[in-house]
Amino acid sequence: MSGPRGTKLVARREPAPWVESLVGQLLALLASLLIALVAGALIVIAYGESPLVVYGAILRFSFGSRTGVGYVLAIATPLIFSALAVALCFKGGMFNIGVEGQYLVAMVTATWAALELDVLPGGLHVAVVLAFAMLGGMAWAAVPAILKVRTGAHEVVTTIMMNGIAISLLSWALNGPLRFTNAPEGQNVDLRSDPFPPTALVGDLGKLFGVSRGAHLSWLLLLGIALAVAVWFLIRRMRLGYEARAVGQAPGSARAGGISIGAVQIKLFLISGALAGLTGMQQILADRGYLPQNYVSQLGFTGIAVAFLGQNHPIGIVFAAILWAILARGESALQLETDVPREFVIILQGILIMTVVIVYQVTHRRLRRRELGRAAIGEQDAAEPAPVGAVG
Amino acid sequence: MTLEDVGRAVQIALVYFTILYLTGLGGLFSERSGIVNIGLEGLMIIGTVTGSYGTHLFTIDLGWGVPWGPIAGLVLGLVAGLLFSSVHAAATVTFRVDHIVSGVVINLVAIGLARFLSQIFFGQATQSDPGQPHLVPFDVPLLADLPGGLGRAFQSMSPVVPVAALLVVPATFALYRTRWGLRLRSAGENPEATRSLGVRVSPLRYQGVLLSGALAGLSGAFLSVEVVYNWREGQTLGLGFIALASLILSNWNPVRLMGAAFLFGFAQAIPLRLSDAPLIRELPPQFIRMTPYVVTIVVLAGFVGRVRPPAAAGSAYEGGAG
Repeated sequence: MSGPRGTKLVARREPAPWVESLVGQLLALLASLLIALVAGALIVIAYGESPLVVYGAILRFSFGSRTGVGYVLAIATPLIFSALAVALCFKGGMFNIGVEGQYLVAMVTATWAALELDVLPGGLHVAVVLAFAMLGGMAWAAVPAILKVRTGAHEVVTTIMMNGIAISLLSWALNGPLRFTNAPEGQNVDLRSDPFPPTALVGDLGKLFGVSRGAHLSWLLLLGIALAVAVWFLIRRMRLGYEARAVGQAPGSARAGGISIGAVQIKLFLISGALAGLTGMQQILADRGYLPQNYVSQLGFTGIAVAFLGQNHPIGIVFAAILWAILARGESALQLETDVPREFVIILQGILIMTVVIVYQVTHRRLRRRELGRAAIGEQDAAEPAPVGAVG
Repeated sequence: MTLEDVGRAVQIALVYFTILYLTGLGGLFSERSGIVNIGLEGLMIIGTVTGSYGTHLFTIDLGWGVPWGPIAGLVLGLVAGLLFSSVHAAATVTFRVDHIVSGVVINLVAIGLARFLSQIFFGQATQSDPGQPHLVPFDVPLLADLPGGLGRAFQSMSPVVPVAALLVVPATFALYRTRWGLRLRSAGENPEATRSLGVRVSPLRYQGVLLSGALAGLSGAFLSVEVVYNWREGQTLGLGFIALASLILSNWNPVRLMGAAFLFGFAQAIPLRLSDAPLIRELPPQFIRMTPYVVTIVVLAGFVGRVRPPAAAGSAYEGGAG
């Protein structure tokens, strides 16, 4: 029997569930941002600075000039790849913590291709280098994927272990096969690879928009956005995406529906590894032009944070990466313009991601409960003759 | 390679053992209570920076021939680890956030928090001044006199090493011989059954996670206070993850954890002291450093032996007031 509450719910025009979900998620994000900014403001006040000045400086550094925007987008570029890799696995109910190791290995394979396959012409060479990066990431992702499906070894632990192996592997490659050999006589050079031939480098994108070359904004940004759209298409419009969501949300039903869970998981993990492989390319193909000893690390883990900030939605991830990059860029702003140490930004990012994770979790439960409640009412309506008021 | 080299390798292995055992034991309590903790590395990082700060805090000698600075450092590292792990506890137990997500965030935040604290403590973001005071090392009676240089292994040892090794006794007793231990393990195996017997699950899980924070923090402090004598960014070198690997190899058992921690500790020592041993000579040192990870993957995949994690580890307990 639908009580007064039920009647009211049916009578009112209900927003579509996805609208409700989107609004809920946006509100959750705004709430988390607000909480993080307030917590950050308290720290700033403890330093005897004005939060408005500090936040203003961060924003001005990002949006005050075209080059500022260029820097932000360049910082965001690798994060888009690593976060997409995380999100894709997550849709299938798996956790790829191995993005870190996958992109480290990909830097090795890409460096090899950049140095050894230099007979290829310009446009083709860089494409092959990117393909090698994707293959490297894929190969590294294949191990945990196959072990998960074949032996049931949990992907979280195996990918953590694969990360550890990747760190040693990269260190070995830099000390051995990829080590800089053409150093001028008697010159002491850092541990690094040979410089790449120009054909292996990704072109500068900034000059089209009046961004200074120093920002190293590259075509990889457009590749990242294109891949975000592609991942969205894959998840929402392709068979594999449908199967992935089924496996992620209800593995039992998926199996009953004739989906081979193992095959879906392996495919997702391989694509995820390929995406992960592109993470390090901004640094070595656009920024440096060689594989340096102080190669960027932690981008895989940061990608997990960005994926959650973007609610594992491919398009949301692009914006989340930019938000993360604005904060990262703010580090320089703090150092130059305020007395607050630049590390404040990392704390702010930490508070933000922790609040986001908790607030999303709470919101998710709320929405789910409402959905269940509505489903229960729907069942009642179906069982009983609909009340007159409700139909009218 | 001489016997003395073996002795030196064991000496280093014992240091690594201490780090891995303390951290792994922390992880054991957490996972036995049902909360997966991959944030051990981050908890250790917080232990390293606060531990180092503790030695600077108490430079005055209060007498009795006891160096108070290092003790303050170890205690501060322990407390800081405990406090930081409360974030993981609140997120996973109270807010039921996915354990892996929260653990990743802990690791990520720890790196930044350590730099931030270092800036406050030492006025520089990535290290403290070298040459901190440390506890007086000692020679283990009898063992230090082993012939052929083997005694090396037990000379000038940090007092924390035997303390960590002896922790196996209270840990095993608490886990298997007390009511609390039984309840903690049941919370990790079957929280619904635990609750149905009138035992509240959440406090047990909080205790498990906080214990892991305290022990990982102590382990980090041991590293910066007793091993390196200063704080440096990145000095944990992924040992938190190797501790996790030891925990898996031990099948979540405190006694077997000793063996696993020593084995992986020894693997760390080989490239440092036994690089000219036969066979090892042929391998790049990086390949030896990989061994703990490779071994863990092999064990997890079930190629050798079988391990079984606590049944409910990783899942949120949904029970109402639980």
